[in-house]
Amino acid sequence: MYQYDAIDETLVRERTDQFREQVGARLSGELTEDQFKPLRLQNGVYLQLHAYMLRVAIPYGVLNATQMRKLAHVARIYDKGYGHFTTRQNIQYNWPRLVDVPDILDELAEVEMHAIQTSGNCIRNTTTDPFAGAAADEVADPRPWCELIRQWSTFHPEFSFLPRKFKIAVTGSPADRAAIGVHDIGLQLVRNDAGEEGFAVYAGGGQGRTPMIAPKVSDFVAQRDLLSYLSAILRVYNLAGRRDNLYKARIKILVHEIGVEEFTRSVNEEFAHLQGGALTLPQEEIDRVASFFTAPPADERPATSHPSSAFSRWRLWNVKPHKVPGRAIVIISLKPYGGTAGDASADQMDVVADLAEKYSQGEIRVTKEQNLVLPHVAQADLAALYEVLSAHGLATANAGLASDIVCCPGLDYCNLANARSIPISQEISKAIEASGLEEAAGELTIKLSGCINACGHHHVANIGLLGVDKKGVEFYQLTLGGIADGAAAVGKIVGKGLSASEAVTAVITVIKTYLSHRTGDETFVQTLDRVGLEPFKDEIYA
Amino acid sequence: MRNDLAFALADQAPGNDNATLEVTGAMPFADVFRLAMGAEELAIRFEKFGDGRGFSLAVMLRERGYKGVLKAVGDLLPDQAGLLRRAGFDRIASDVKPASPRWKRPHFSHAYQPSPNGDEPAWRARTAAARQAKVDELNRRYADASPDEIIAVATREFTGRIATLSSFGTEAAVGLSFLARVAPETPVLFLDTGMHFAQTLDYRNQLVEKLGLQNVITLEPDARELAGADPAGKLFESDTAACCDVRKVRPLARAMVAFDALITGRKRYHGGERSDLQPFEFDGERVKVNPLAALSPKEVTAIFRTLDLPQHPMAAQGYPSIGCWPCTAPAEGDGTRDGRWAGQDRTECGIFDPSLVERAARTRSYRLI
Repeated sequence: MYQYDAIDETLVRERTDQFREQVGARLSGELTEDQFKPLRLQNGVYLQLHAYMLRVAIPYGVLNATQMRKLAHVARIYDKGYGHFTTRQNIQYNWPRLVDVPDILDELAEVEMHAIQTSGNCIRNTTTDPFAGAAADEVADPRPWCELIRQWSTFHPEFSFLPRKFKIAVTGSPADRAAIGVHDIGLQLVRNDAGEEGFAVYAGGGQGRTPMIAPKVSDFVAQRDLLSYLSAILRVYNLAGRRDNLYKARIKILVHEIGVEEFTRSVNEEFAHLQGGALTLPQEEIDRVASFFTAPPADERPATSHPSSAFSRWRLWNVKPHKVPGRAIVIISLKPYGGTAGDASADQMDVVADLAEKYSQGEIRVTKEQNLVLPHVAQADLAALYEVLSAHGLATANAGLASDIVCCPGLDYCNLANARSIPISQEISKAIEASGLEEAAGELTIKLSGCINACGHHHVANIGLLGVDKKGVEFYQLTLGGIADGAAAVGKIVGKGLSASEAVTAVITVIKTYLSHRTGDETFVQTLDRVGLEPFKDEIYA
Repeated sequence: MRNDLAFALADQAPGNDNATLEVTGAMPFADVFRLAMGAEELAIRFEKFGDGRGFSLAVMLRERGYKGVLKAVGDLLPDQAGLLRRAGFDRIASDVKPASPRWKRPHFSHAYQPSPNGDEPAWRARTAAARQAKVDELNRRYADASPDEIIAVATREFTGRIATLSSFGTEAAVGLSFLARVAPETPVLFLDTGMHFAQTLDYRNQLVEKLGLQNVITLEPDARELAGADPAGKLFESDTAACCDVRKVRPLARAMVAFDALITGRKRYHGGERSDLQPFEFDGERVKVNPLAALSPKEVTAIFRTLDLPQHPMAAQGYPSIGCWPCTAPAEGDGTRDGRWAGQDRTECGIFDPSLVERAARTRSYRLI
């Protein structure tokens, strides 16, 4: 993985020092909360319902063992002994004290980590396929491009005060796994007719209160031109994006309002001005960054077996094919039945760090499904790995299954939320386990958001739940048919809102209805497309 | 850390010192541009510190050539000083009271982006170091290599981003014959200054056919630049350097955007700055490859004979080095450049002149690394 040079290291240190001064200015009263807000946000500090929250960047979801141990240390020393992995491949601490944050950032800087631009109206952490560099179906490794984008977008002199936040996702595989269709910019690595690698570019996707799937704005942008093209998009957005209404300020609204043709024309006009200029990436820099992302060696030992059926189930759902012979990708589920999606204790983080060192070339990934991944495990080590995971509550065999629920913090933490989401997801998880239908249903996504901002990605879930507040009572709106990756789609609302307990029952009803209508090996969305919403509606509101 | 105290302190006290023009972020860029061109000073107002449109307006104005004073006024925080400076603002007048001591804070030592104030992206220093290291390594390994081998190594190392430049002068046939044999697909750039001898153009056509060169790219001066700099076609009479600049240095710089390495025909026996020529050089921007550096005049003659290469028709008339007709004269001795710009204190047109490369880099007339 990428390692800082002196320039990267100096910048992070200088930023940490700067923020220490800003915190001092806030604590002394020199800065008002209004003035401090954008500064703290660009350093990952939120003010939640009960306390400050610190969101630490995990650039494109890639971590090494040393960094994971540092995250565990921060959880232990500065928080309540746990951290929360997010849908944007980052980690959040829910209980730090503002006065401690500069010290936390200093500690993180020691291991080449930071909280820069994890919030605020700027370019956020770039996300990607958690299987990058390991996936068998990859055209090219997206990680070097994520790192190049990370650097270009950091402390950008032009794009640090955008109309609204801005998220870029990169995928190196046609299977996506980075949900590029619902990002402000989605980049897909492709090869053109001449065999050159470049990017298909999508822009104007997003979730929130106005979910939209990003249209394609370019079939092919050459690698050296990537930053020129991204700058052209950002420039058009920065100048023309709406600033009169917070809810209409994302780029998706601009693209929608002026139309994709006019938007693309404006971008191309600016790109013509920028192309071949000072933003052109030198091949040496592309090569330098790429050189950090190497494939693990093949492993020739025979795969081991394990007597238990629990292992077989885990092997079936949580282990994915690797491009290197003898290796496998292992998903560590952070979704124990009845647990809080994405939470990991400091001890669990340490265990994962040890396992990464021992079995995965020291590498760990965070997924947008709020799980962890050991990307480079030898098949010969799977049984031994499973034993340790199992002993620490980390071997739940449900990756991609119905109980692998994505969930925002909701009203338990968040001051934007209208409804609780964690407790409902816990109830749903328990009900799924009790139903015994999970394996029969196979891969199926369930996602919950506690408000319309859609941090829980409910729009793009096969089964989505949105918490709403009606006169002080929580209700949940059910959507069906959303897809996050590849051919992204927004789910359709089924009917009137449900109470919390009705919502839990409804999810089980939907799964049962799917199973009763499914033919062959149809996915949930295929069955839904064929039979329509009616059979589901009938069962839910019967 | 870099300290821009003077900048940060520049009217941090709110002021209203008669900026003749003031625009806001809400104004379309085309209108801002029209107002700014020709103005000596322009103020961009930030109604709210979170409204970042003024940053883009400033950068775009600078990129499109606005040279006047740029002033940021309005609701601005000390924490924005570094970004404002990098966006191309010269002065800041903040309305926020009381003035904070944090305006004096130095900004970060490095940048990841190019910006109008001259900051270079981190990759520039990294790439310069990488190119220098590559050149050193290649010189260690190939110091005594043959022209064929040097061309083969160079075209392998810089695949798709290497070209050669040819004047189709008296010695051009030698280098081009090696290239045609080893890497015939390599682009050959030819600067058509409009001032060449007719014999040179004929000779070019003859060589292209004889050697089977497949990728000759003719570069011409930009018509608008030429009309501005030399409307009468007489610039060579008053300022040969300016004439070379518009006819050679600029067209080549534009074309070189696509290339990171350039194969030259330079040889040590040309003398002057070429006496110590290595096979590989790094000029701070690009790699120059000199496969013929070590050849002697005798070897050049031998190659002409062995390969039955045609001669430039003027070589036999006493012209050892041939450029544009106004600045080329006969001279004594083979291979010398004494006949170029005779009577003036120069032997290079600027293409290989480090000070001109440096100037072009500074004025950003072409892509840096």
